[in-house]
Amino acid sequence: MNNYFVRRILQIIPVLFIISFIVFTLVFVAGDPVSLMLPDDAPPEAREELRETMGLNEPFVVQYITYMGNMLQGDFGESYRFNQPALDIVLDRLPATMELAIFAIVIATAVAIPLGIWSATKQNTSLDLIATGAAVIGKAMPNFWLGIMLILLFSVTLGMFPVSGRGTAMHVILPAVTLATGIAAEMTRLIRSSMLDSLSQDYVRTARSKGLKDRIVVYKHAFRNSLIPVVTITFLQTSTLVGGTLITETVFAWPGLGQLLIQAVNTRDMAIVQASVFIIAILVILMNLIADILYRFLDPRIKYN
Amino acid sequence: MSEKLLEINNLKTHFFTEAGVVPSVDDVSFSIKKGEIVAVVGESGSGKSVTSLSIMNLLDKAGKVVNGEILFDGKDLTKASEKELRNLRGDDIAMIFQEPLTSLNPVFTIGNQMMEPIRLHLKLNKKDAKARCIEMLDKVGIPRAEKVFDSFPHSLSGGMRQRVMIAMALSCNPMLLIADEPTTALDVTIQAQILNLMRDIVEDLGTAILLITHDLGVVAEMADKVVVMYAGQVVEYADVFTLFKNPKHPYTQGLIESTPKINQLYEKLHSIPGTVPNPLNYPSGCRFVDRCPFAMKQCITHEPNNTYTADGHTVKCWLHEMDRIENETLKEKVRN
Repeated sequence: MNNYFVRRILQIIPVLFIISFIVFTLVFVAGDPVSLMLPDDAPPEAREELRETMGLNEPFVVQYITYMGNMLQGDFGESYRFNQPALDIVLDRLPATMELAIFAIVIATAVAIPLGIWSATKQNTSLDLIATGAAVIGKAMPNFWLGIMLILLFSVTLGMFPVSGRGTAMHVILPAVTLATGIAAEMTRLIRSSMLDSLSQDYVRTARSKGLKDRIVVYKHAFRNSLIPVVTITFLQTSTLVGGTLITETVFAWPGLGQLLIQAVNTRDMAIVQASVFIIAILVILMNLIADILYRFLDPRIKYN
Repeated sequence: MSEKLLEINNLKTHFFTEAGVVPSVDDVSFSIKKGEIVAVVGESGSGKSVTSLSIMNLLDKAGKVVNGEILFDGKDLTKASEKELRNLRGDDIAMIFQEPLTSLNPVFTIGNQMMEPIRLHLKLNKKDAKARCIEMLDKVGIPRAEKVFDSFPHSLSGGMRQRVMIAMALSCNPMLLIADEPTTALDVTIQAQILNLMRDIVEDLGTAILLITHDLGVVAEMADKVVVMYAGQVVEYADVFTLFKNPKHPYTQGLIESTPKINQLYEKLHSIPGTVPNPLNYPSGCRFVDRCPFAMKQCITHEPNNTYTADGHTVKCWLHEMDRIENETLKEKVRN
């Protein structure tokens, strides 16, 4: 088993190389950062000089090698907007995004687990219809629209929550709910179908034949089995979650990685873009690794050799 | 030995599906005495499994007992509350199933699953419950019971898993063990082992068995009495010797003839032509009429009654109903 994890961790290295190459290439073809860095009326000589100092006149390969060399030493370059090392800024914003993501996941699971189980145990009843209907609506609502609606209703009209920003626990609720809605909808449907599958298995009948209470049959025997696909897919959805934070953070002016990344793209602050994408990639890869490890604990049939 | 442990009278279990009402069990009656082994035989879809699931109300949502009574130790289970049934399940009545592969939960250890009914019904603490599990695992012939206690189902062979199921089912000393095709999924050599094991243990503990099977070999080996089911109905009910020596229903005769015998040479093995009728649309007369070599006119139009012959041998067939009527008229004439 240890061998397996060593191998899995070693596999991360080539993945990160590929990601860094893709990010670098995309940034390279995205356009000339100098045109945004200098005012419109700057003389061409000044532009040329800046390009020269930033190494932008070197061929692609040379630029990439320089970039990789620096990156391996933990240097993602300096943000021209903040005049600080890009990695520091990114890591500085990371906790805010983590806070939002964790709150969102907690809310999503707290809603989706009971709802998914109920709608499976009460299949084809009105409760099931309401739950699956709500899940469809939840999944169909775009984050940016839901965020704005929540702000309009709860902040502007009812004045219950602050409109934007980060600080108190009240600040995190609306963005976390916005982010959680889509995830909760997806999870509810997943748990429902997974529970329906488990509930029809022979071992559930065995459990009932032993005289166990329905609660134990459902929550212990069926739910424990239905967790296997649910946990995997939930962890694999980290990338969707990151995508959600980009939009949600922008709507709520949440000072996290997502907002930073959007701004960096708009201002062609390449160092920040590269550093953020790299950190996000590492997060996604880590989540996949954790999913793999959890798998082993959830399903004893799986052996890693 | 004579006291009736389980008595099923006129049981009807229907499934309410989108396609219509499926009368899976239609007017089934039979009984089991204490310590007796009664086999229910029939092909797939004959309603034998549904009958067994009806006893403890383990039917899925669509299935419902709509008529009849199931008397267990004098108490009608069709009227029992879910809580009363739960107290019976795993305690007085235990069940083992066809697929030992899927009947155990893959994510819990054998010990975890075995301790559940023991702790629930025998109210033992963890330590004593574990001791009871090990004792039961030893009893069903599982080597290194301590190790098996901590292992997961997937690490055991099919035969071992069925032994675990038997150990678990018998752990609370049930009065009745319902075994739904317990050996169907196993290798032939393992089948014999499991059947011997069941018989030995049951003799030891005095447990009665309701054995659901489609295998007449298993019936001959194990049963005291046999219930033959066809299309949701009991077509013949007799003790095992009578049934094999003198099968009265054409379906039973066909079943016995279709079983290969080792000391006979066949050009071709006998088979019953046709298939079981669609349960949504059973014929109005005898349900076996389309496949019966002796079908008569009234078989198509009128359903035969259960005819009782000597020694509690019951058969649901016009051939014997006619015999009975003839006999009675004959007696009547003699008397006059």
